[in-house]
Amino acid sequence: MTSAMVLTEDEALEILAFLITAARTQLDEAAEYGPLRLLTAAGRLAGFIGARASAGTREFLAGPLKDMPDAALRSVDPAKYAAQLDAVCRAVADHLVSHFGLDGSAP
Amino acid sequence: MTNAVLEAIRTRRMARALTDAPVDRAQVEEVLEAARWAPSAGNRRLHRFVAVQDPVTLRLLRMVSPGMFQRPRAVILICIDGRRAITFGMLPTARGLYVDVGTAAQTMLLAAHSLGLGSGLVTSFSRAAVGAILNLPAELSPEMFVCLGFAAPRQPPAIRPRTRVTWQSLSHWERFAAPLERT
Repeated sequence: MTSAMVLTEDEALEILAFLITAARTQLDEAAEYGPLRLLTAAGRLAGFIGARASAGTREFLAGPLKDMPDAALRSVDPAKYAAQLDAVCRAVADHLVSHFGLDGSAP
Repeated sequence: MTNAVLEAIRTRRMARALTDAPVDRAQVEEVLEAARWAPSAGNRRLHRFVAVQDPVTLRLLRMVSPGMFQRPRAVILICIDGRRAITFGMLPTARGLYVDVGTAAQTMLLAAHSLGLGSGLVTSFSRAAVGAILNLPAELSPEMFVCLGFAAPRQPPAIRPRTRVTWQSLSHWERFAAPLERT
């Protein structure tokens, strides 16, 4: 497990501002925008940390998260949308297990 | 049937990815000039436009605008002037004011398209944060961004309609055949 700094203050502020303002806009918008905004934030975070993250994290970032369409909405195909999100959840969990050494791979 | 106007209407698309190529101020001015000709209820002109090209300001606006997928090289913010609306005896929330936001926006989109610019609309933003970043006076209510730039060759997949849309699927002629449930 590494503890390298992977975000600059500017980048962190951008994510912070996005999340705060998305909380406000979500009060007025369609419920299906909720996961969309969270995924957009995740995508931006991934974009920021990609260059400085460990090789394992970079590999995760290049996986199913990157394949989620930016503007995908649940209502277009709810089953497919849920399946895509499940794939991203499994990928992040697999990476967490490896990154934090739960599988015994960490030194 | 086709002509230049119909062709522009049919070929305009929302650009959710824009290149880094700068937009000239003259092009932004041309879009603003077009908006001047947009329909406005009672010709009251209760809207004000704020054009932004400064890169740092654009970056901050995007930070507080969750719906802004693209990185615009310029934006035009359409605002409702609530104080002027009141002078006409209108509530600042009157329906017509928002209709005129739409007519101005569509006019700008078509003007941008005719100039070879990519464009997109954004309404998902924090009004409070945008007002603070732009130091907007209290009477101006920010309602919609028109994002401008040059469309990237590769765009994110468009949001597919739930069902195929035709003019027939959206339209009715004359009276409805069966009584509708009154709302």
